[in-house]
Amino acid sequence: MSFSNSISKKKYNINQFILSWVKSLASIDIDTDEPPGIVKRLYSVWFRHFRVYTKNIFANGFPPFIEPLIFLVGIGLGLGSYIANVDNTPYLQYLAMGLPLSSAMFSAAFECSYGTFYRMEYSKTYEGMLTSPLTITDLFIGEIIWCGTKGAFYSTAVISVFIVCGTLPLTPSLILVPFVGTLVGLMFGGLSLVFVTFVKSMNSLNFYMSGVLMPLFMFSGIMFPVTNLPKSIQWIVEVFPLVHAVRLQLAICKSEFTYSLFIDLAYCVAFIIFFTWLATRKLKAKLMK
Amino acid sequence: MIENIIQIKNINKTYNKAKSKKTFKAVDNVSFDVESGTCFGFLGPNGAGKSTTMKMLYSRINRDSKPKGKMKVLGYDPGKYPLKVKYHTGVVPQEDNLDEEISVYQNLKIYAKFYGMNDKDSRKRIDDLLGFMELTEKAKASTKELSGGMKRRLVIARALLHEPKLLILDEPTTGLDPQVRHTIWKKLRELKSNGMTILLTTHYMDEAYQICDSIIIMDKGKKVIEGCPKKLLSESLENYVMELIKGNKEDIEKIGYDEKIVRTDDLHDPPHYYSNDFNALKKISDNLNGGEFYLRQTNLEDLFMKLTGRRLNEFQ
Repeated sequence: MSFSNSISKKKYNINQFILSWVKSLASIDIDTDEPPGIVKRLYSVWFRHFRVYTKNIFANGFPPFIEPLIFLVGIGLGLGSYIANVDNTPYLQYLAMGLPLSSAMFSAAFECSYGTFYRMEYSKTYEGMLTSPLTITDLFIGEIIWCGTKGAFYSTAVISVFIVCGTLPLTPSLILVPFVGTLVGLMFGGLSLVFVTFVKSMNSLNFYMSGVLMPLFMFSGIMFPVTNLPKSIQWIVEVFPLVHAVRLQLAICKSEFTYSLFIDLAYCVAFIIFFTWLATRKLKAKLMK
Repeated sequence: MIENIIQIKNINKTYNKAKSKKTFKAVDNVSFDVESGTCFGFLGPNGAGKSTTMKMLYSRINRDSKPKGKMKVLGYDPGKYPLKVKYHTGVVPQEDNLDEEISVYQNLKIYAKFYGMNDKDSRKRIDDLLGFMELTEKAKASTKELSGGMKRRLVIARALLHEPKLLILDEPTTGLDPQVRHTIWKKLRELKSNGMTILLTTHYMDEAYQICDSIIIMDKGKKVIEGCPKKLLSESLENYVMELIKGNKEDIEKIGYDEKIVRTDDLHDPPHYYSNDFNALKKISDNLNGGEFYLRQTNLEDLFMKLTGRRLNEFQ
């Protein structure tokens, strides 16, 4: 399998070229006695998580659909009547824009904190996986990619409920929501893995849940706009990872795009790259001992 | 291939204890070679360094870099080419780490993907292996429902998916009942007769005697002895032993025996008497009541005790 074959064909076909490139990376139809390529290895890790997750599709797939309904009832019938419009938007609608992301965050964070710790210390899943031709880096990048998938699924599920219930108007730009969900999944996959390397017992992960994720949920512009915070502490909030994703999300839901969003997007991408790197590095040190 | 499938020379593994800042040498200057197509056994008590050596072989952990020693598995250094080594090696870890949520078939399916097998090949291979391990009826069962013996067989099947050249088993029969142990031994012999090289750790001396062509006995990270189990026994130990169940040395000295042909040591209480001459031991035992002694052939456990000067079970 080489690139030159596909290039030398009379009609240069970009699809074929990409396909052949992916195939050569994944060594799909190379019939040698070589271990699988990086793409195939990452896919196989992703497939493992996908298979185990979809095994209990009802129990696992249900929460993202039920959670927004609880908010609809709780805020719509109760709390909502006490709150005026936020940024000229009814409060329920404002929440409906941000909640898909907190859902994506919690699902990814749970998977890569409690889930990872369980697989590492109790079920010994990784011990088994590491006997096959996978590196520790493959294992955790695959896992972070799976978190991205979960982020996409959760954010899409939550926003769908709000659209169906008429809380949010259906606009073409909403097609980008799964993309932001993926970003959030990838961000919190990597971040959570870094936390896992510090803890010695599952109980310590509670600090991560209430000490990190809850504040992020509260102060990232999901419950109220960050501009409502005192000026003096607004810069702290800017460091929070979720703030930037929420800004992208609000822009998508309102179809109001500005160039400054590129900064937020760049922050998200940089965050993903840095924490994926740090997580795999730290986990390698932890597991290779 | 004439070259030995595993070549190991002077390897070490040191762990740093975080709190006491002390170092602990789990594997201490171990060397051995494994011939292709043979079954090689690692014996020794818990903490002897057996599992650590296994893990270094399949790139799960790295050996000490100073002194580095030499290590070749299937022609590759596991420290440098982990994927190549793992791709041709099947590993049965000490714990059954199956995915309990999913079915027997899916457990194998997931691992087939790790090895990069396509769907058609993997389906056929999984069916064959389930047949070989006598698990065909359980293909759709949830892994949770399996008995301990079935789980172990499934883990072995999983390690065989990609037709490895080398099979590494870390205590394959620990905690299993005698029937299952014999089934597993039978399967391992079958695999060996098909040309597979097998490496296993065990602390069952009879297991090593049953299936291993050669063994290493390890103790405290060091290699104590190496060789063919039957030969080791005949060369390093008398053929028979009389274990006293009741009584002490004085009782036997009263009866009297020829110290040139009967040997005793201070490792046991009540004492043991060894000899190549069955009749010499028989003569002593004739003066004892039934139930006070046990006259039998010596085994690897006796050898282990002679070599290490202590009981096998001390640290288990």
